[in-house]
Amino acid sequence: MKAFRQIAALIRKDLALQFRSKETLALIFVFSVLVVLIFAFAFGPNFPPEKSERGKLTASVLWTAFVFAGIITLNRSFVIERTHGALHGIRLTGVDASHIYLSKVVSNVIFLFLLEIVITPIALQFFDLFDGVTIGIVLKLYGVLSIGTLGFCAVGVLLACMSTSTDGGESLLSVILLPLVIPIIMGGTKCTVSILVTGGLEEGFWLNMLVGSSLIYLASAYLLADAVIEE
Amino acid sequence: MRLSASQITKHFGYRAVVKKANLTINPGEVVAVFGPNGAGKTTFIKILATLLRPTSGKLEIEGADAIADYAKVRNMLGVIIHEHLAYPTLTPFENLKFFGQMYGVENLETRCQTLLDEVGLQHFVHEPLHIFSRGMTQRFMIARALLHNPTILLLDEPFSGLDASAKQFVLDRIAQEQQNGKSILITTHNTELGYLVGTRFLFMINGELEEIAQQDEISENTLVQMYEERLTAVA
Repeated sequence: MKAFRQIAALIRKDLALQFRSKETLALIFVFSVLVVLIFAFAFGPNFPPEKSERGKLTASVLWTAFVFAGIITLNRSFVIERTHGALHGIRLTGVDASHIYLSKVVSNVIFLFLLEIVITPIALQFFDLFDGVTIGIVLKLYGVLSIGTLGFCAVGVLLACMSTSTDGGESLLSVILLPLVIPIIMGGTKCTVSILVTGGLEEGFWLNMLVGSSLIYLASAYLLADAVIEE
Repeated sequence: MRLSASQITKHFGYRAVVKKANLTINPGEVVAVFGPNGAGKTTFIKILATLLRPTSGKLEIEGADAIADYAKVRNMLGVIIHEHLAYPTLTPFENLKFFGQMYGVENLETRCQTLLDEVGLQHFVHEPLHIFSRGMTQRFMIARALLHNPTILLLDEPFSGLDASAKQFVLDRIAQEQQNGKSILITTHNTELGYLVGTRFLFMINGELEEIAQQDEISENTLVQMYEERLTAVA
């Protein structure tokens, strides 16, 4: 019970800090919209007539936006902890480092998922895919995005904790994180294309890769959390 | 004894910042460690607070191995270091409430309010921490350190940057906590204030900790003279 209470308090605090920081909120939202707009202007106004081509384009735009917005979010969530030693303050309460890790993963997943809920319809509208989208497709799309976000945050939280403890860590995060999340991006993008084009998940391989890599990252990072946060 | 550190050494690269330091702190004792900037005081206090792992040495807190079982001993410690260990965009009340939830403090809201009243921040309960002056921040840090009623207080430079009234407040609070039976370690380069509050004195110069005397064994003038001699010898 104590563990759940602590994790819940940590998540509430993280979300309060994320949403209270209006400039970060605006930065991440504007950044994501800009990515969508830039691709829309580059490839538009006459998009390919084939739905499959538009689907591929939309999936790549969505994942590009979310990966880079995710890097900004992860960095911010640990810079807040490091600036005035708040992470030391949390450690001094005797809370298990794995609880700190789990709460950071959950709060970042919630924050990024809310961003995805807002940005995805905008991208679908810009790339002319909004017509014919059913509730089922939307749920599948958000399901894939949430699994991808979980895997991304699972490894990203650990690396952000490490990178923000070094000088110039903010730029370091993208260098060390992106190669590691390639299986998630590949699986996520392919699943997104499949959902946008056919309305379902045609190839189980990519979904397996997405789910499998996300779970492996979550389990490995959970086991490493104590060493990383305590050092 | 409540806290016992033996042969604590800390290297950063090839540089030894703390060299084989030995220290014990008993209940009701206020140990004052004097040292100039860069002497290793903050590193030493971070090691005692289990925030930094020593390169070698043993640290016991209430009989437990504080290096291996750090999670077990941390809630016995109240710590003040240079950083306020909290969130600047949250109010002092929100900060205390959050940390209180982590510690599992009972009657939390009442406890937070009482502490904020005691440290004189009752009119700033709902202002974010980032607008606070150094003195107000220091008052908040005292409230945060006392929130879970720890048995050991580790205070790194608690007087730095404070005006006269704030210094007096910190002195009074340390005396009050000593009377409550807490074990207190303060590090400072201010011999005058350290002498006023300490019951035992040590010097830390170039990472070496040297036991000097109990308060009733030495006058302030002698202490200051010895401290200046040590500083001159290493200059």
